[in-house]
Parts: sequence; C-alpha cells; structure tokens
Amino acid sequence: MTDMDSIHVIVADMSQLVRLGLVSLLHQTRYRITIREIGTPEKLGQVISKDQAKLLIISRSFLNSCTNLLTASIKSRFRADSRILILDADQSLHPEIDFTEIIERTENEKIMLKKLEKRLHALSENGAENTPPDDISDRERDVLRLVAQGFTNKEIADRLFISSHTVITHRKNITAKLGIKTIAGLTMYALINRLIIPEETKQ
Amino acid sequence: MQITPNMKMAAVIHLNYHLLPLISRFGIMLGFGDKTIEQVCKAHNLDVDFFLEILNSYHDKNYFPQKHLQGFPLKLIIDYLRKSHEYYLQVKLPRIEELIQQLSALSNEAGQRSLKLIDKFFSEYKHELSEHIRHEEDNVYPYVFSVEEAYRTRHATAELVGRIRDYSIEDYESEHDNVEDELYDLKNIIIKYLPQPVNTDLCHTILIELFRLEADLKDHARIEDKVLIPKVRFMEKWIIDRPGN
Repeated sequence: MTDMDSIHVIVADMSQLVRLGLVSLLHQTRYRITIREIGTPEKLGQVISKDQAKLLIISRSFLNSCTNLLTASIKSRFRADSRILILDADQSLHPEIDFTEIIERTENEKIMLKKLEKRLHALSENGAENTPPDDISDRERDVLRLVAQGFTNKEIADRLFISSHTVITHRKNITAKLGIKTIAGLTMYALINRLIIPEETKQ
Repeated sequence: MQITPNMKMAAVIHLNYHLLPLISRFGIMLGFGDKTIEQVCKAHNLDVDFFLEILNSYHDKNYFPQKHLQGFPLKLIIDYLRKSHEYYLQVKLPRIEELIQQLSALSNEAGQRSLKLIDKFFSEYKHELSEHIRHEEDNVYPYVFSVEEAYRTRHATAELVGRIRDYSIEDYESEHDNVEDELYDLKNIIIKYLPQPVNTDLCHTILIELFRLEADLKDHARIEDKVLIPKVRFMEKWIIDRPGN
C-alpha cells in the first residue's frame, strides 16, 4: 500500500470540497504522501484499525458525528505522538482528544501549509529515529554517544564496564562503518542524528 | 600532457581550469592574450622554471620532480606556500562558509538544524587551519630562514644549534593529519548523512568546493613534506654534524 519513504495520511471530512482542499495542500508539502479520503464516520469505523496511516486529519464536524466508540478508537489509535490534526477544532467539545495542533479553515494557505509541514516533519523524523542508522550496533551506539560527548577511552570503558581495549575496537568499527574518523566529525554525526543533544557536548 | 614554457597561457587554462587559483596565487590575472608562459612569467618577474614545476605537479598528480623542486631557493618555496595560505584564508574558507550559510538560509527548519551544525563544524575547522597556518608563518618559516642563513654563511650560533637539537623541522608537520581528516569527515557527512537540503545545486557547489580545497591542501602538504622538510633537514644535519657543534 505504501512505500517506505512516504507518509500515509487519512483525510476525514464529510465535504468533498474540504477534502480536495486538504489533499491539494498535502501535495504542496515537500513530503511524499499517500492519502486515503474518508467521507463518513461509518467508513472511518471500518478502516481505522486496519489502515496504517501515520497521521489523521479530521474536521470538528466530522468528529461530532462520530459515535463514542469511534471517538475512543480515534483517541487510542492517533493520540500518541501528535498523530492527529483537527480542522476547526473546538477543544471544549472534545476534551478527551489530546490534540496539539489545530488548523482553521479561515487561515491562509501559507499558515496551513506550515502547520502541515511541521507535523509531517515530526512524523518523518520519528520514523528515522526508530531505525538504527547505518547498522551500528547498540553497543557501538553507546560508545559513539560517549565519544561525541568528549569522554576519553578510559572514561568510556569505566562507564560501560568494558576494557579500554574493547572501547578501541568499537571505535575502529564505528569509524569503518560510518566513514568518519575524527572526534569532531563523530560529534557532528551524533548531533545530526539526534543521538545526543548539543548540551551534552563538552565545549 | 606536460606544460612547457612556450605553451600559451590561455591554452594551459583550457587544458585544466583547476589551475586558475594557482596562477592567481602567483599574481597572474586573466587577460594574457596570446602570451606564452615564459612571456607571462617575465612580465610578472617570476621564476619560469619554478612556476612550471608547481603548475605541472598540481596539474598531474604523478608528476613530482622532488629533487628538482628541492633545488629551488627556500625563499621561492616559502613565498609560494605563503601565497597559498593567503588563498585559503582570504578566499577559499570564507567562500565555503558563505555558501553554507546561504544554503542554511534557503532551508526549512529541519535543514537549518543540521546546517547550523555543519556551519559550526566548518568554523571550528577554519579556526584550526588558521592556527596551523599562523604557527607555520610565525614560528616555522623564520626558523627555516635562520637555518638556511647558518648553512649559507657556514656559521651557526650556539642558540640555533640548541634549537635544532630540541626542535627539528619534522616536529612541526605532525598536526597535518587532523586537519585533513576533519575535511574528509565533513565531506562524508554531507554526502552520506545530511538530510537532503531543498537546494540540491547549492549543496553540490559546497561539496565541489570542499573537494577542491582538499586537493589544494594535499598538494600544499606535498610541497611541505617532500620539498621543504627534506631540504631543511639536510641543512639541519649539516649544521649539527659540524665539528664543534
């Protein structure tokens, strides 16, 4: 249904015009997207457990027509990691849904696009974080984190309860796998891939 | 194809445009009409022989007349090394820095985050390279000249002999490696791990600039390692081995 790099999105609204507008906006973002349009709560109820969508864009009016049961499954399926965007949301009506971002249909295209981009960006990065970059092992990643934070081989050995010799072997393997030789280079790699945060570096 | 004194300067540029920064380093500007290399050198008061050897060894990686290069006066060699330093500091490094910032300005939020890291890495690299260069210009070259002076006049002060004993010319090139490796890492990170920027063309331009800088630095280091150092080492040895020292 979807290929690895694209983000699958469900667009749920009763009005075809509104769905068309959202689909057109989604295609203007710089992300590769596959879309399923849904026009009725019944249809959403049928697909919600099967569809692999990473993001649900749903309007307030659509939500209002959903049964309590469906609202609950929307909540359990899309709540986590802000995987939901509400069009014209009125939070007081849906306190049970934990949405962090709302699109208003009165907003101009630029702002809407920005909100979509932001959300899609977060989702695409979560995806990247779940797969270990470049096949370095968990242990190598531990070592890499500490190297990037400026610890010496001896300090790393003490922290991980391994010998300095083993640390050196790990470091050789990391360099061979990543093609990065210097500490400054490894630090930059770790920061770009969010293995550490800037506050963790020594300088 | 080897470059010869009677070749037209314009033909040399057509042959290999990567030589452009090299000729400007010797003070030669474009607009040389149909002048030959020999004529251009005469007009600029340059040593044709030396200019050609540098040009050829830069043009063809396999051409490196080590012995012949070592035969040139130290002043010529060091003048050339200084000119390339100036080129890195005044032209090349600021240019790459500017390009990285341009790319960052054109990127979205995610891109900017990574490019800020690249920018910081590069500015630290620039600082390190500048320090290395400053060390050479402030300490190494004056030392080299005093060794040459002692060799030429056959007279070394006790102070110089002492200096040679605890600080030989070979000691100073030890830090080259790190500067080279960091440049290599930067290239590799851009090639392999940077989230793809919106402006691909600009990103490629940065990479090409980094490749050019790397090639230029390698050539520069080769002149230092294979020409300057052996030449100075020979004179150091002569001074140390003199009876009475």
